Amino acid sequence: SVREILAELTGRKGGCAKGKGGSMHMYAKNFYGGNGIVGAQVPLGAGIALACKYNGKDEVCLTLYGDGAANQGQIFEAYNMAALWKLPCIFICENNRYGMGTSVERAAASTDYYKRGDFIPGLRVDGMDILCVREATRFAAAYCRSGKGPILMELQTYRYHGHSMSDPGVSYRTREEIQEVRSKSDPIMLLKDRMVNSNLASVEELKEIDVEVRKEIEDAAQFATADPEPPLEELGYHIYSSDPPFEVRGANQWIKFKSVS
Amino acid sequence: MAVVAAAAGWLLRLRAAGAEGHWRRLPGAGLARGFLHPAATVEDAAQRRQVAHFTFQPDPEPREYGQTQKMNLFQSVTSALDNSLAKDPTAVIFGEDVAFGGVFRCTVGLRDKYGKDRVFNTPLCEQGIVGFGIGIAVTGATAIAEIQFADYIFPAFDQIVNEAAKYRYRSGDLFNCGSLTIRSPWGCVGHGALYHSQSPEAFFAHCPGIKVVIPRSPFQAKGLLLSCIEDKNPCIFFEPKILYRAAAEEVPIEPYNIPLSQAEVIQEGSDVTLVAWGTQVHVIREVASMAKEKLGVSCEVIDLRTIIPWDVDTICKSVIKTGRLLISHEAPLTGGFASEISSTVQKLCRIEDYPFYKRGKQTKKSKLLGQAQWLTPVIPALWEAEEECFLNLEAPISRVCGYDTPFPHIFEPFYIPDKWKCYDALRKMINY
Repeated sequence: SVREILAELTGRKGGCAKGKGGSMHMYAKNFYGGNGIVGAQVPLGAGIALACKYNGKDEVCLTLYGDGAANQGQIFEAYNMAALWKLPCIFICENNRYGMGTSVERAAASTDYYKRGDFIPGLRVDGMDILCVREATRFAAAYCRSGKGPILMELQTYRYHGHSMSDPGVSYRTREEIQEVRSKSDPIMLLKDRMVNSNLASVEELKEIDVEVRKEIEDAAQFATADPEPPLEELGYHIYSSDPPFEVRGANQWIKFKSVS
Repeated sequence: MAVVAAAAGWLLRLRAAGAEGHWRRLPGAGLARGFLHPAATVEDAAQRRQVAHFTFQPDPEPREYGQTQKMNLFQSVTSALDNSLAKDPTAVIFGEDVAFGGVFRCTVGLRDKYGKDRVFNTPLCEQGIVGFGIGIAVTGATAIAEIQFADYIFPAFDQIVNEAAKYRYRSGDLFNCGSLTIRSPWGCVGHGALYHSQSPEAFFAHCPGIKVVIPRSPFQAKGLLLSCIEDKNPCIFFEPKILYRAAAEEVPIEPYNIPLSQAEVIQEGSDVTLVAWGTQVHVIREVASMAKEKLGVSCEVIDLRTIIPWDVDTICKSVIKTGRLLISHEAPLTGGFASEISSTVQKLCRIEDYPFYKRGKQTKKSKLLGQAQWLTPVIPALWEAEEECFLNLEAPISRVCGYDTPFPHIFEPFYIPDKWKCYDALRKMINY
């Protein structure tokens, strides 16, 4: 939920990883989280797909990575394994045209990320169109569920802000470009236009939703700043799974932390 | 001692209690803080969260290398790389985002000056970067690879440990990748969390064949980096990222070398030896002055500089003189490099203990060992320090390091071995 995400960013105990993960480590039921090394989650996804297949509950695994991470070697290892064993894994490359600051033309020999799977069929999807993404995912999930093996999807999308706190986002691209994408192909705006034009909703109703959403975010932000930080004892928790809690050695001989899981 | 422990524990719990309001409201808060921080006031509590855990202490201006300029750490790295590229026409620099100057501005201006075929970006592939660097180095060109953060060096771990380090050995000196240098920002930075704050030098210390070097200041960084680049062995150069801007001092413009595998005694002393590297050197310098002021204890402060092959001789001679040793680093305690220093110092092999040496006769095994060139700094060190340090120790060797947990996000101020933890460990050693 929004509260948990914002609380995790500020390192509070109400966060989705209890405040111990930080910005890149969000976890939830069926959401196996973000990794420090981008691309490390792709073999993980292949493994989860194997578990899905094994359990026989008709589940599929969606593994997301970016255009920068698409150049990591371990992704190709995962492609090979998934194709070899026909794992129900949907590999999704979110191509927002820039790594942190490197544009795809300067980082990749082939910018057709959906073709990178080679022996895995690939779809190129307009990531800015919500309905398009939904249909593509539906198709991909049906493909995987029918036992044909993995499939690759490249979502062509965009990133407005910089990659991280230290990246201004404008040193490698022009503000005009960002503005252009924001005004012409913003996904929320496109969906709104579509809904209004086909009389599915009126502008007022959408405005109401906007107000509600704003309120929810405000509440969440409030929670994120007011929630207490995790207690100091938790410094040592959850390192291992251990029956008797053991003491974590460290800087001080007399201040020790117990590791409990 | 128990009072100190209780107060320290209470103090840490107070900090964990959250909002600054708690500081003022909890009874005895002033007392606990007053005990350990005599100069602190209640108002400082709010500011103290943003203050770094160390104070950079610049070295005096070096006179023997010509004209100097005030540079901070990243500028001194740029200067060293500039000198290398100018001197060596085969030198190339590559890594993620190095072309525009690097995420820490270490390579600013180099692409414009030397051209895009000598300073270029790589895609996001650390294993590829190091493997590719080994390839360049094997042909004889100088490869200077950058890994964007030391935490990301692990995909390249196989290439470094299995390929680069063993190349000379397994080819019988037919080939080597000695002209490879890997540079990487290292260490805690205050807001790095799990994957931007690690200090992985201990993982590489276990690998014969490479050299690992960590500077403490801009002057040291430039000299050590130039030595690494010119050294005929693959080197990993870790740059403390928190010092990139925080550390500024006078650095010579011309190239100069600082020898590798030599520790530097920054401050002479007679009661305790303090050993650290990188940012932690400044922490223990402060601890040394605190000890002098409050306990009248004279500390010898040593910057190890090269992690492997490390300068056994200097450390052992110092411990023989003082009888007490405290080693401090940010990396976790178990298996951290302090454990290697600690066990070597307490039982220094006299030459009779060295397994392959027979006094007066060079055996076949010791000759083979001599051929592993990178070991040469270590073997003379073992020969020179003749006395066993163990009998000279007045107190057990103290290691003040990070906890055995992943580097925490929100708990960072409690995790790092700051000056108070080092000071307390020192007091315990003195009173042993």
